[in-house]
Amino acid sequence: MTTVRKRRQYRRQERLLPYLLLAPALVLLVGMLYPFGLGLYYSLTSYWLQYPNRFRFVWFDNYVSLVSEPLFARAMQFTLGFTLVAVIVQVGLGLAVALFLHARIPGRNVIRALMLMPLMMPPVITALMWKIMMASTNGGILNYMLSFIGVDPINWFGSTQGAVVSVLIIDTWGNLPFVALVLLGGLQALPTEPYEAAQVDGASPVAMLRYLTLPLLSPFLVLVMTFRTMDSLRIFDVIYATTAGGPNDATTNLLFMAYQYSFQWYQMGKGMAQAVVLLLLIVIASYVLLRLWNRAAENAAQ
Amino acid sequence: MTFRPGFRQRYLWNAVLAAAAVVLLVWTIFPFVWILLTSLKSPTDIISIPPKFVFTPTIDNYTALVIGEQHGQYASARPDFPRFFLNSIIVSIGAVALSIAAGIPAAYALARFNFPLKNVFAFLFMSFRFVPFIAFVIPLYILYHTLGLYNTHVGLILAYQLISLPFTIWMLRSFFMEIPLEIQEAAKIDGCSRIGVLIRIILPLSAPGIAVTVILGFMFCWNAFNFPLMLAGRQTFPVTVGAIQFISYEQVLWGQMAAASIVSVMPQLILSLLVQKYIVRGLTMGAAR
Repeated sequence: MTTVRKRRQYRRQERLLPYLLLAPALVLLVGMLYPFGLGLYYSLTSYWLQYPNRFRFVWFDNYVSLVSEPLFARAMQFTLGFTLVAVIVQVGLGLAVALFLHARIPGRNVIRALMLMPLMMPPVITALMWKIMMASTNGGILNYMLSFIGVDPINWFGSTQGAVVSVLIIDTWGNLPFVALVLLGGLQALPTEPYEAAQVDGASPVAMLRYLTLPLLSPFLVLVMTFRTMDSLRIFDVIYATTAGGPNDATTNLLFMAYQYSFQWYQMGKGMAQAVVLLLLIVIASYVLLRLWNRAAENAAQ
Repeated sequence: MTFRPGFRQRYLWNAVLAAAAVVLLVWTIFPFVWILLTSLKSPTDIISIPPKFVFTPTIDNYTALVIGEQHGQYASARPDFPRFFLNSIIVSIGAVALSIAAGIPAAYALARFNFPLKNVFAFLFMSFRFVPFIAFVIPLYILYHTLGLYNTHVGLILAYQLISLPFTIWMLRSFFMEIPLEIQEAAKIDGCSRIGVLIRIILPLSAPGIAVTVILGFMFCWNAFNFPLMLAGRQTFPVTVGAIQFISYEQVLWGQMAAASIVSVMPQLILSLLVQKYIVRGLTMGAAR
C-alpha cells in the first residue's frame, strides 16, 4: 500500500468514525423513536384497548373531536395559565433569593447547602410530603400554623382555587432552589469592573440592579425560564399524587387529560392525539425560548 | 453593591435580612422536619387536633415498611417496600450503566469531531429532555405488552434511557470539552489513534466528571415516576410508585407514607452531598456551571 492510499483510507475512517461512535446511542434512540412513530400512527386510529374489534384508521377524527371538547379548552387554559404564573412566581422569587444569597449574609453557605435538599427529591415524594402537611382540617400543620395569623382552615385540595394554589405551592417548593442556585451561579460569575465603575459614578443599588445586573444575568434568566417553562407545561407527578386533576377538572392540564384518555379509559388513539397536541405546544415554546436565549447571549456578549 | 446608610438604618436593614434568612430556612427545611416527625408518630398522634409537636416516638411505621405488617388494617393497602427499594436500585443502576456505555463514545464524537450532522444529533439528544413522557409511554405500553417487556426490569431500563441517555451525553460532552486540545494533539503526534486518545487521554482525565455523571444519572432515574407508573407492575414498582400505594380507596396510611417518603429520599440526600457542586450543572444538562 502506498502512503497516498493509506492516507486516503485513514481519512475515510476519520469521516466514518464519529458515526460509529454515535451508533450505540443512536440504536437506543431509534428504539425510542420507533414507538413514538407507532404512537403517531395510533393517534390516527380509533385504538381502544377494551374494544380491539373497533380498530379503524380514522384520519384526524381524534384531533377534531378532542379540540371540540369543552374539557380541552379548560385543560389548555390551565396548562398555559399555570405555566405563566409558575414561571413568573418561581423566576421572580428565585431571583430575589439569588440576590439575597449573593449579598454576604451570615449562614449563607448553610442555606445554600440546605436548598439542595428539595432540589434532588422525587417530585412525587415532594407532593406526598405536602399532601400530609396540607390536610384540610385543623389537624393539618399548614392550616394550624395559618390559624395563628387568623386564616380560616383552607380546603387545600378539595376546592377549585385551593387545588390550583396547592399545586403551585408544591411545584414552587421543589423548583425554587433550582432557579435560585442557577441565578446565584450566574451572579457569582459576573465581572466586577462594571460595578466598580458604577460605584465611582455614584449609581444607586436599584440602578445597578436594573442597568447592570439584570442585562448581564439575562442569559441565565432565559436559561431558567426555558427549563421552568418546559417542565411546567408538562407537570404531572404533583397533580397525580395530590389532586388527580380535580376537583371538577380544575387541575387537569393537557398532559393529565392525555393520561386519563389512555390509562383510565384506555382510548389509546385519543390519548396519543392529545399527547401530540401537547408536543406541538412544547415545540413552539422551545422555538420561541431558544430564540430568546440566542438574543440574550448576544446582548450579554456585547 | 454596598450602600452606606446611617447606623440606625443599617441596624434595621440587618434585622430585615436576618428575618428573611429565617423565613427561607424554615420554608426549605420545615417540610422535612414535619414529615420526619409524622413518620415517628402513632396513627392517633398523626390525626390529633391541634397537631402534636411533642409525642412519644414510635418506629412502628418503619417496621411496618420493612415487614409489611399493618397492625390490623386493610390488607389491600399493603405495599412491599423493601422490594420497591431494590427495584429502584436495580433499574437505576441498569439504566445508568447502559447510558454510560452508549454515552461515552457518543459524547466523544460530539465533543471532538466535526461532521455534517453533528448539531442535528446534539439537538436531537437534547430535545428528549423536554418531550412529554406520555407521547412515549402510550405506544411503549402497547409495545411492551406484545413483546413481554411490561412489568420487567429490562423494559424499565430501556424506557429510562429517555431520561438518562440525553443527560449522560450532554453532561459527558461538557466534561470532555474542558480537556485542553493540546494534550490530544500531542498524543496524536506520538502516534495515538482517535480511539487511543479517548481511552488513554480523555477517559482518565475526565474520570471525576464521569463519576459525577454516574451519580447524577442514578439520582434522576431514582426520581422517575411516569414510566414505572405505567410500565411497571407490583413486582417491579420503584419507591416513587411504591410510596403512593399507601393511598387507597379505604384510607391513607399517613404514618407509613411519611416513613416511605423519608426512606425514598435518603439515598438522594446522601448522594447530593457527594456531588453538591455539580447539581446545578447536571440539572441544566451542562449548560450552567
